[in-house]
Amino acid sequence: MTKEEVQGATEEEQQAQSKKAQKKQQKEAEKAAKKAEKQAKLAAEQQTTEEDDFAKDQYGVSPMVQSQQKLDRALVRVQDLTPERADQLIWLRARVHTSRAKGKQCFLVLRQQQFNVQALVAVGDRASKQMVKFAANITKESIVDVEAAVRKVEQKIESCTQQDVELHVERIFVISQAEPRLPLQLDDAVRPDGEGEEEGRATVNQDTKLDNRVIDLRTTTSQAIFRLQSGVCQLFRDTLTNKGFVEIQTPKIISAASEGGANVFTVSYFKTSAYLAQSPQLYKQMCICADFDKVFCVGPVFRAEDSNTHRHLTEFVGLDIEMAFNYHYHEVIDSITETMVQIFKGLRDNFQTEIQTVNKQFPSEPFKFLEPTLRLEYTEAVAMLHEAGVEMGDEEDLSTPNEKLLGRLVKEKYDTDFYVLDKYPLAVRPFYTMPDPNNPKYSNSYDMFMRGEEILSGAQRVHDAQLLTERAMHHQIDLEKIKAYVDSFRYGAPPHGGGGIGLERVCMLYLGLHNVRQTSMFPRDPKRLTP
Amino acid sequence: MPMYQNGEVDPAVKALEARQDEIIRKLYELKAAVEGLAKTVHTPDADLDLTVSSSLSSQTFSSAALKGTTDLDSLLGKDHGALRDIVINANPAQPPLTLLVLHSLLCKRYRVLSTVHVHSSVASVPSQLLSCLGPRHEDSYARHLFQLGFTLIWKDVPKLQMKFSIQNMCPIEGEANVARFLFKLLAPYPSDPSLATMVDSWVDTAFFQLAEGSAKEQAAVLRALNSALGRNPWLVGPEFSLADVACCCCVLQSGSACSAPANVQRWLKSCENLGHFSPAKAVLQ
Repeated sequence: MTKEEVQGATEEEQQAQSKKAQKKQQKEAEKAAKKAEKQAKLAAEQQTTEEDDFAKDQYGVSPMVQSQQKLDRALVRVQDLTPERADQLIWLRARVHTSRAKGKQCFLVLRQQQFNVQALVAVGDRASKQMVKFAANITKESIVDVEAAVRKVEQKIESCTQQDVELHVERIFVISQAEPRLPLQLDDAVRPDGEGEEEGRATVNQDTKLDNRVIDLRTTTSQAIFRLQSGVCQLFRDTLTNKGFVEIQTPKIISAASEGGANVFTVSYFKTSAYLAQSPQLYKQMCICADFDKVFCVGPVFRAEDSNTHRHLTEFVGLDIEMAFNYHYHEVIDSITETMVQIFKGLRDNFQTEIQTVNKQFPSEPFKFLEPTLRLEYTEAVAMLHEAGVEMGDEEDLSTPNEKLLGRLVKEKYDTDFYVLDKYPLAVRPFYTMPDPNNPKYSNSYDMFMRGEEILSGAQRVHDAQLLTERAMHHQIDLEKIKAYVDSFRYGAPPHGGGGIGLERVCMLYLGLHNVRQTSMFPRDPKRLTP
Repeated sequence: MPMYQNGEVDPAVKALEARQDEIIRKLYELKAAVEGLAKTVHTPDADLDLTVSSSLSSQTFSSAALKGTTDLDSLLGKDHGALRDIVINANPAQPPLTLLVLHSLLCKRYRVLSTVHVHSSVASVPSQLLSCLGPRHEDSYARHLFQLGFTLIWKDVPKLQMKFSIQNMCPIEGEANVARFLFKLLAPYPSDPSLATMVDSWVDTAFFQLAEGSAKEQAAVLRALNSALGRNPWLVGPEFSLADVACCCCVLQSGSACSAPANVQRWLKSCENLGHFSPAKAVLQ
């Protein structure tokens, strides 16, 4: 209406418009009348329902839980709904995954984390017609409290995790109502790639998933991924603690960049500026010099590299190890590989359900490994690549495609997805890497690979202040900037080595996923700062 | 065929005739193929015609050890400046005794880096299988110091498998075939093709009849062994060969050593006196 008034420039137009407007007004009035009539009817209906609904206390929207009362009510977990509980009357709290009304019945799928069960509200002596209607109108993803009888079913319910029982609902209360329109459908988000296209159904692309991460994290796949990730952390801690390691916490706000200045985030720090730690490298080494012997650290690590690839994040969780050894840095390699093997074994033995859940959406071969871990030398790797027809120099660094090819060759010969590559050329490693005593072209450094992608880069560090200065000068590093670092080795430093692993990468490669953002709960990359 | 000239030829008979002609034609083809093969067998193979002594008694090993590297280059082709690693996937349910014996022979001849791994497809492996290649070499931290790698992986495989040069060779299946390959790194087969065939034949007998056969078959093989050993000190000719290694290991594994006939008993003793069989015996315990 207002629009027309504004637009009315000339008389004629105004007249014509007013005619139109009149018509419109009339129409609207009719509509309003109809609406009022409908509302009245609805109200009447509601009234009548309220009047003759014998089950009106058995359902409804609960008042907001403000901790008014402390009910002595045991809520059963969905995963515990097995045939042993048949014919029991139980309470449970779950989300409404889907609801489907069919005449006098309404089927609900109630979901709790990665488990779900079928529930049935049917008109009978327990539930009224209105209750069924109410159940059918509960929005998806709402949280409900349900009292129901567990009943065995004759035919397995294929679509649910609890296939042998269903719930016959006696009471249902909405605890938290979801908005009717969801930004993405959970079923679409877990559909395997390609399957949606065939059936003409929607799949959700990664950015939409990440934009609505809270909902995406509810999917069975996400639930499984992050349960497994928690397992990796747990196994990492347990294994190292058993080996006599000490967990340390290091500062993340640091005064100087530890590895090259280019890829650090600068933050303002009162009147000066500071950096976000790229790795706890320096602090791990200082702990070794301070007689902690074997340390590890689980914490965030920041990289200001502007690379938008499937395996780079700007903030990730680093699992870092540093240890003093007696005579040979292979003691360190052995310690790290044993830890990794313990993690793989723990996942294989305790997280089979999670692995299979992820595999349903993202199929991949099971992760294979050898115990003890296979260790190859750089020269062997170069020979293998030469044999496969790759032209590369003996002291050249491995390019990413060559890394992948090498991974395939190693898999073919040894059938392992995890191996160590030892004795890298000195020229391609950082200045604090210890040179090889027998051949100065090589170094006491190593990389570890999972499914052909690097997950760990480590080495024996130079623990001699003088050699460290020489190496730094060779790399043309400003000695003033690393003075504090070099000085920590002047007062007696044990020989030591270590390495750091990215938690997200380990999970991604273990599960055979294709993007590190899938294993980061709230990923940070050059283009994403929210949620 | 005068019988059928009256126009009474039965179509079934005609079909039979056609089939017979076809079979005869195939037989001729087969004959030609066999003759062709026989020609290649009678021509001495250049690879086998080495002048190195074919004797495998332990004394000759010390003298042969010096020629190690050049031998490997001629046997395995160009050296790429890296370890030549032989990977063997074996099922822990059937430890490959023959290969353990051949491994200890290889160690006497070359600098061998031996490693044992457990693949993630098997849950646990008895400790004697983990140490079946002997203690770790003191230089094992430097792989490039070795001529040959012997990597034994305990894995859930239906058949023993060897992987060597993945670019040029398909994986080799079966313990017998891997044994033949490893043995050729130690000594050439007898240059006489009939003797070489006999070695192969005994190896087959050992693995198909002694190791997998019924009690009846095993008894028959023991009788055959007994008569062969009545004529010679070793199974094929005057020299110790792969035939002896394979048969000895399979007799030990089948557990019929105690009930074996006299010549076999004597031969088993001689085998043991060579000292190569201790790794196999350690695994059997």
